[in-house]
Amino acid sequence: MNQPASGPSVVTRRSVSRRQFLKASGVALGLPFLDAMMPALARAETTAAVPRRMLAVCNNLGLLPEKFFPAADSTGRGYQLSPYLELMKAHRDDFTVFSGVWHPDVDGGHPADNCFLTAAPHPGSGGFRNTISLDQYAAEHIGHLTRFPSLTLGVNMRRGQCSLSWTGGGVLIPAEEKPSEVFRRLFLQGSKVEVAAQVRKLKLGESIMDALADQTHSLEKNLGARDKERLDQYFTGVRDLEKRLASAREWEGKPKPKTSAKAPEDPANPREYMEKARLMYDMARLAFETDSTRLVTLMLDSVNSPAIEVEGSDINDGYHSLSHHGKNPEKLKQLEAIDSGHMKLLNTLFTDLKGTAEGGANLLDRTMILYGSNLGNANTHVTTNLPILFAGGGFKHGQHLAFDSKRNYPLPNLFVSMLQRMGIEADKFSTSTGTMRGLDMA
Amino acid sequence: MLQKPILSLNQVPGLWGGCAVLMRAVLPCVILPCVILAMAAVCQAETKGQPEAAFLKSHCYECHDSNTQEGRLDLTKVTFNLNDPLMFATWVKVHDRVKAGEMPPESPRPSVREQSEFLRALSDRLATADAERIQDSGRSTWRRMNRYEYENTLRDVLGAPWLQVRDILPEDGESHRFNKIGDALDVSHVQMARYLAAADYALREVAMTSAAPPSKTQRYYARDQRSFTGPLRFSQFNRSPERSTFPLLGNTADVAVLNDESHPLSVGDKNPEVREQEAVGVVASAYEPLEVHFSSFRAPVAGEYKLRLNVYTFWAAPLSEKQWWRPDREKTSAGRTHEPVSLYAQHPPRLLRKLGTVDASPEPSVVEITAWLAKGETVRPDPARLFRSRPPSFHNPLATKKGQPGVAYKWLEVEGPLPSKSLAEGRKLLFGDLPVKIAPGNQIDVKVPDAKATSRQLITKFIRRVYRRPVDAADTKRFVALVHEAIDAGIPFGEAMIAGYSAILCSPAFVTLEEHPGRLDDFALASRLSYFLWNSEPDETLLKLAQNGELKNPTVLRRQTERLLADPKSQRFVAAFLDYWLDLRKADDTSPDAGLYPDYYLDDYLVESAVDETRAFFTELIKENLPVRNLVASDFAMLNARLAQHYEIPNVQGSEIRRVKLPKDSVRGGLLTQASVLKVTANGTTTSPVLRGVWINERILGVLIPPPPPTVSAVEPDTRGATTIREQLEKHRNDASCNKCHVIIDPSGFALENFDVLGGFRERYRAVDSAKKPKKIVGYGHNGQPFEFSNGRVVDSAGSLPDGRKFRDIRELKLLLAKDERQLAKNLASQMIVYATGAPIRFNDREELEFMLDSIQSSSFGVQTVIQEVVLSRMFQNK
Repeated sequence: MNQPASGPSVVTRRSVSRRQFLKASGVALGLPFLDAMMPALARAETTAAVPRRMLAVCNNLGLLPEKFFPAADSTGRGYQLSPYLELMKAHRDDFTVFSGVWHPDVDGGHPADNCFLTAAPHPGSGGFRNTISLDQYAAEHIGHLTRFPSLTLGVNMRRGQCSLSWTGGGVLIPAEEKPSEVFRRLFLQGSKVEVAAQVRKLKLGESIMDALADQTHSLEKNLGARDKERLDQYFTGVRDLEKRLASAREWEGKPKPKTSAKAPEDPANPREYMEKARLMYDMARLAFETDSTRLVTLMLDSVNSPAIEVEGSDINDGYHSLSHHGKNPEKLKQLEAIDSGHMKLLNTLFTDLKGTAEGGANLLDRTMILYGSNLGNANTHVTTNLPILFAGGGFKHGQHLAFDSKRNYPLPNLFVSMLQRMGIEADKFSTSTGTMRGLDMA
Repeated sequence: MLQKPILSLNQVPGLWGGCAVLMRAVLPCVILPCVILAMAAVCQAETKGQPEAAFLKSHCYECHDSNTQEGRLDLTKVTFNLNDPLMFATWVKVHDRVKAGEMPPESPRPSVREQSEFLRALSDRLATADAERIQDSGRSTWRRMNRYEYENTLRDVLGAPWLQVRDILPEDGESHRFNKIGDALDVSHVQMARYLAAADYALREVAMTSAAPPSKTQRYYARDQRSFTGPLRFSQFNRSPERSTFPLLGNTADVAVLNDESHPLSVGDKNPEVREQEAVGVVASAYEPLEVHFSSFRAPVAGEYKLRLNVYTFWAAPLSEKQWWRPDREKTSAGRTHEPVSLYAQHPPRLLRKLGTVDASPEPSVVEITAWLAKGETVRPDPARLFRSRPPSFHNPLATKKGQPGVAYKWLEVEGPLPSKSLAEGRKLLFGDLPVKIAPGNQIDVKVPDAKATSRQLITKFIRRVYRRPVDAADTKRFVALVHEAIDAGIPFGEAMIAGYSAILCSPAFVTLEEHPGRLDDFALASRLSYFLWNSEPDETLLKLAQNGELKNPTVLRRQTERLLADPKSQRFVAAFLDYWLDLRKADDTSPDAGLYPDYYLDDYLVESAVDETRAFFTELIKENLPVRNLVASDFAMLNARLAQHYEIPNVQGSEIRRVKLPKDSVRGGLLTQASVLKVTANGTTTSPVLRGVWINERILGVLIPPPPPTVSAVEPDTRGATTIREQLEKHRNDASCNKCHVIIDPSGFALENFDVLGGFRERYRAVDSAKKPKKIVGYGHNGQPFEFSNGRVVDSAGSLPDGRKFRDIRELKLLLAKDERQLAKNLASQMIVYATGAPIRFNDREELEFMLDSIQSSSFGVQTVIQEVVLSRMFQNK
C-alpha cells in the first residue's frame, strides 16, 4: 500500500474549469464543481484524497509488433521511440511502453480478448469460466464515490460474445456501443418514473441491510470476545454496504452535470470504426471531467470489423483479414495506416486530458490509461509479448520497460500497481506475482 | 526452487512431538522472531517463583538469555501470559522439545526427576490455560460458510443443482490449510454485496423455472448446426483440413456435399434412411476456430435433461504420400480407435462446464447422460484425445502414414426438462401454488389477493425451512416487516418476496454456523455433521433427530455418519476436503511448459482424469474402509484409459474410472504417485524434491516443516539440462544448518524425481536448449507442435529417511512410509479435525487424539473408521 490510510483523510477542494470544450464534436458543456458532486459520505470514506481514474482499452487485433515496440536493446528512460510511438512523441514522458509481458497461461488466440482485464487462464479450454475484471474489482472499492461505478464501452462488438468487463461471478457485462447513449446517461436526467424505480430498489437494499444488522445484534448477545469480534466484522460489512447503497441513492436525487450541447450522433456503419473509437474516447474524457465515473473500459472489437475507414488511406480488406497479413506488403501498409490511426487518437486523448486542469494537476496525471491487446502478434495468434502502452495516472513514465521475450513477465502485476495507485488495498490480482517491476509512482 | 510453506504459530502442535530432528529446526526459524517482537517489554520476573523457574535457570538460560539468544530465543523474556497465543505456542514448543529429550542438548542433562517435574508443571499450566480458553470460547471461532458450503446449501434449499454460486463469492481465506476456520473467513461489504447478488441470482433462477415448457424429446442433427457445417468450407481464415469438418455418410466421405457448395447439406426429413447415415466428423478436439456445438438447442429453462448423442469413430486416409500427416476429407473409412468424448454445457460467449465423458467406438451408438443445464446453455462435444490445432503449422500427433483417427456426430437428442421433485419443492417454497410469471427484465410477477397476509405465511415457512435451528419469532417479524415495507413502497409482490428471501439467505443466522462454547446443542451438532460430510445443510432426518434430542446418542451418531457417507452428497466432502488437504483445487493453476511438455500441453482431459482419479481413490478408501496405509501404498489404482496410458498400465479401455489391480512391480498405488498430486507439487516446467518433500511431510506424514530462513535464495532450476536439481541441492545440504531441515524434507522428494510435472514416469530429465534443438523431430505434442526437448541427465531417486532407513526408489520408499500406520492415521485424523471442527489439534486435544488412535489400532486404521472416530470425539461434539 502506498496510499497513507491512517488519520483523517482530507479532501481538498478542486477547481474545475467551468467550461470545457469538446473540440472534436464541437460540444460545450457547463460543468459543476466536482466537489459539489461528491456526497458527504464519499468524502468521509475516501482514503485517497486525489481522485484516481482508469481507462483500459483493448484492441483485440493488436498492433504490428515491429512498428510498435522500441528496439530490444533500447530500454529504460533513454530509449529510442519506435515508429508508432513517434506519433505520440509530444507525450513521451507521459507514458511507459512495455515489452516482454503477458497474462500467464492466457492462451487460445482470439478468445483471450475477454481475459484482457481478468487474466483468467486458458480461455479456449474446457471448463473455462472468466473471473472478475480489473475495473469491476476496483469498482467494488471505489465505485460508490461516483454516480456510475464504472462504464463499459465497445466498438463494433460481437454482442454478448465479448467485453472487457466481467463480474465477480465471471458474467459478461455488455458493452455500450452508442456514444449518444453514454452521453445520455452522463448528462440527461432519467424520467421521474425511472429515477423513482431505482430509488425504490436502492432503498430496499438499505432496508435489507438494516434487517441483517438488527439480527446480528441479537446474535451477538451471548458470545465470547473472539466470536463477537467476528460477528462485529459481519456487522461492519453490512453497514458499509448499506452506506454504499445510500450513497448510490443520493446520486439518483442529484441533478446530472449540465450540458448546453447536443448529443453526439452515432456513426451507423461499422466501417466508421475510427470515428466510433474517437467518440468513445471523448465520452470517457467527459465522464472523467465531470467525475461521473472513475473507471472506464473500452473494447475495440477489431476482429468483428470490416474494411474500416482511415483518414488519408484506402483500406480495401477486412480488419481481421488484414491482420493475417502473411507479410504481404500491401496488407502491411494498410495495417500500418490503421495502427497509426490508433496512435493518433491516443495522442489526441492524452493532449485533451493534459489540457484539463483539476485541483492543481491535470486529468492525465490522475487518469491511468492502459492501451494494449490480448494478441502479441495477430498474424500468428500468439498471446505472448503483448503490446502494452501505459500512460498518465501519476506514475514516473518516459521509459521502455523491457522484459524477457522468451519468458514473459506477468502483466497482472501492472494491475496490482494500478489498484494500489487507486488507493485500493490489493496485493494480488489473478496470476500476479507482485507489483510491476520498474514502474514507480510519481 | 525453495518455496516457503505458510505456517502459523499454533499449528497442529501435536504433530510435532514425534519428530525430534525437526523440532530443532522449528524453534529458531519460526517462533522466535515473532515472540521477541511481541515481548520486548516483558521481563524475567514473570517466571520467577514459579515451579519451572529453577529448571529454566539451570538448564535453559545459559543459551537462551538476552545475551546469547541461541536460535534467536530469549527465554528470559517469555512470560506465562498464556492468554497470548504466541506465548502459549512458545511454551508448547519448549514443552515438546524438552519432552523429546532434545533440550537441553548436552551436559549437564537434567535428572529424570527434574525433567519430569518441569514437564508436569509446565504441561499442567498449559492444560489449565487451554481448558480455560476452550471453556470460555470453545476450540474454534464463530464462522460463516465458505463459498463451497454456500453454493451447496443454496442448491439444496432450492432444489437447484445447476446453480453456479461459488464463483460469485470472493475467494475464502485459509488457515491451517483449510477454508473452514473462523479466523480466516472474513466478511466485508464486498462479501455482503456478493452474497446478495448470489442469493438474488439463485432465487430468480428457481422462480424462472415456473415458466418451464412441458418436457419434450427433440433431435438436433449435426448437419443442421452452423458450427458443424461452417467449417466444411475453406475460408480466408482456414485452409487446413484438420481445422475443417468432414461430411460423412456412415464411414464414407460425402463427397457431393464436400465439393459442391450448392449441394444441400442434408436430405432432410424426406429420406430418413439417408438422413440417419449423415454425419459430420472432426479429427481435432475443440480449439478456436473449430468449436462444434449443437447451437440450435438451447435449454429453454434450467432443469434436468437427458442428452443422447449418436456418435462414432472414423478413419481419415492420408492426403498424399508426401503429406501423410494431413487428412484427406474425400477418403474416409471405418474407425480404428475408441475415443473419449467430453460433453460440455456451453453458455455464450464461451463459458464451459463439463457434464461428463462418453465413449465413441467404430460402431455408431447412442450414448446417454443426464445433466442439469442452466437456461440458455447448449451442448458442446469435444473428442478429448484428438489433438488441438494450435498455430502455427500444426501437425496431428495421432497421424500415421496410414491415416488418422476422427470422431463423427450424427445427432444429439435432448429430452427435457425432466420433472424434478426437488426443484418442484424449491419452487413451491418460494411461491407456494401461486402462478408465477416472468415479466420483462426477469421481474418476478405473482398476483395475489392479499399480498401482506400471503407474504407473512411464505416468509414464515421459508425461514423455518432454511434456518438450521428453531426459529426465533423476532426473525420472522423482522423479515416480514421488510417485505411489508417494500410492498408499501410500491414494489410488486413477487419482487418484494425475492428481496425478503435474499435478506434471509444473507442473514447471519443463515450464513454463519451458530455454535456456543461447551457441548454443541443437537442442532449445532447436526450442522457440524452435515457440513463435514456433505459440505451443506442438514437434511430433514438429521434435524428431526436433533429436534428429538437423539442425535448425540453415539449409536445414532455412528449410524448417521454411515448414512451421510453412503449418500452421493458425500462426494462434496471428498472433493472439498481433497481440494484443500491435497491442493487438488490447484490442479489447473499451472500449465505444462509448451516447450518441455508439448505432449501434455492443452490436454485438459488428462488433468480432469487425474483429479477424478484421486477423488475416486479416496472414495474407495472410505467406502471399503481400507487401512490408512493405502494412502501411501495400495495394490490398486482408480483408472480410465487415459490414465492407464499415462501410467503405462495395459488393458484399460474407456473413459469410466474403475478399480484396477496394479502389476506387482508398479510404481503406482497410493496418493504419492498419482498424477494430480505430482502436478500440484510441480510448477509445470520443473519439479523440485524440496517442494514435493515438504508436501509429503506436511500433507501425508503430518510433519510440519518451517519456512527457510529469509536470507536463503531459491534454487534456479536449469532447464537446459546441464545440472540436475539434486546436484544443485547438494551444496545446500552440505551446509549443516540447512541440512537440519533438508535431511527431513528432501529424501521423499528425491524418490519422486522419477515423475515429471504431470506424473509421467521418467528415467531422464527433459531439457530444452534453443542452441541445441534436436535435429530430427521425434514427435508432436497434443498442441500439434514439434518436440523440441532432448533427453537430459539420469534421475537419481535413491535416498535415506531421517532415521537412516535407505531406499532405492519410490517403490521402496512407499513400503517404508506405509509401515508407520499410526502416524499416517494421526495425520489423517488431524486434517479431518481441522476440516470438520474449524480448529487444529490443540494442546488439550492431544491426549484424546492418542486415545482415539489406540482404540482403532486393531482395525489397521480403516479410513471410514477414522471418520467415525472423528465424529464421535469430544473435539467434534464440543465447540
